Amino acid sequence: MLNFSRRARRDAPGIQDASLAALLAGAVPPPDAPAPLQHVADVLAALQAAPSGDEAAGKGAALAQFRQRVGVSSQPIRSRRRRPTLLSSLLSAKAAAAAAVAVLGLGGVATAAFAGALPSAAQRLAHDTIGAPSPHATSSAHPGRADASHAGAQARHSGSPVGPSASGAAAFGLCTAYAHASRHGSAAQKAVAFRNLEKAAGGAANVASFCASVPHPGASTKPHEGGRASHPTAAPAPHPTGRPSPHRSGPPSPHPTGAPSHG
Amino acid sequence: MLAAAQDGDEEAFTQLWLDGNAALLRYLRVIAPEAAEDIAADTWVQVIRGLPRFRGDEAAWRAWLFTTARRRTIDKARRRSRRPEQPIQDVPASELPAAGDAADIALEHLSTRTAIALLADLPPQQAEVILLRVVAGLDTEAVAKLVGRSPGAVRVAAHRGLRRLAQILTEAGVTL
Repeated sequence: MLNFSRRARRDAPGIQDASLAALLAGAVPPPDAPAPLQHVADVLAALQAAPSGDEAAGKGAALAQFRQRVGVSSQPIRSRRRRPTLLSSLLSAKAAAAAAVAVLGLGGVATAAFAGALPSAAQRLAHDTIGAPSPHATSSAHPGRADASHAGAQARHSGSPVGPSASGAAAFGLCTAYAHASRHGSAAQKAVAFRNLEKAAGGAANVASFCASVPHPGASTKPHEGGRASHPTAAPAPHPTGRPSPHRSGPPSPHPTGAPSHG
Repeated sequence: MLAAAQDGDEEAFTQLWLDGNAALLRYLRVIAPEAAEDIAADTWVQVIRGLPRFRGDEAAWRAWLFTTARRRTIDKARRRSRRPEQPIQDVPASELPAAGDAADIALEHLSTRTAIALLADLPPQQAEVILLRVVAGLDTEAVAKLVGRSPGAVRVAAHRGLRRLAQILTEAGVTL
């Protein structure tokens, strides 16, 4: 077996250690980088693509073990340990939203966003992060809706971590968080919360009635008016800090905003 | 998300699991292809058990997840009376891009599966450190601690692996 490393170095003279270190740290090479570097970057990007369906086999077993070992929280909102500052939640929501849109914005969702065919909250998010037309710039939401919801469903099934999905006891937290974000949060925060609410409610039009019907754990006030009652711990229990799966522990990388499109 | 999962939030756990399992499988499919799913499942049993008591940030969580998976891989190999340093078995030829099959490596549609197959073509130690840096998202120091080598050695192995990858792609006639 020949030792290729020295030969590789001769064959690929354009690849410096610094460039390789940058790739490993998540940087995207500039357009004028040598082709071999671009190709390696493409392989690394493909390694970091969003989870696919076949990588979700075994979820049921894991959830069963989780329920047994860790249990379901009866109080989705716990104030002291987990309330983020507004700044940190804004930053994390923006970063999460940008990363999620960049990960997803490869293909269908990005196309739908640029055609202005996404539901308006998601369109606003796309507008804020990838520069897609703002929701009010498009009036043809309906014809595109089938494509948008298909793309949206695809995006959701890709498992992008943009905040918790709404069901059960967490739904109250999300309804409250959405109300809070509407009043105090950024467009990105609001869109993140709205998207999961929309999914649970079965459509944007159902969100209001969905929140009205979610029981307040241990109380009788209506959740969507609970925002006004200014829940001091209005941050949802699973606050949206999720970033795409192989996320970096080093300095923030430009990767999320410039990722080339891959399947 | 990690804290919420530790507190019992199922939605947060599900997301943590989805991301973590995809990363685990991609790593294991290169370093232990014949047992990737089994080792991943065993890893989760152990990690879920320890989840309530875990203390650390998300980077520490990822290090813990992959340390657990790596230990289980080594244990499994030992139980089979195989030396842990034995080279990984070949990925089936049908999954590897052959030289000249440029159509299989159309980079603008490069699939994760093909990327994994390409990594499986590298020397095992180089592939492993690349995966731990890129898929597990660990920094050089964390990878060094996990594999029991110096950060310098990890850097050298990763760079060699990437250069070799560049050569494989060049030889396969990839053009964009």
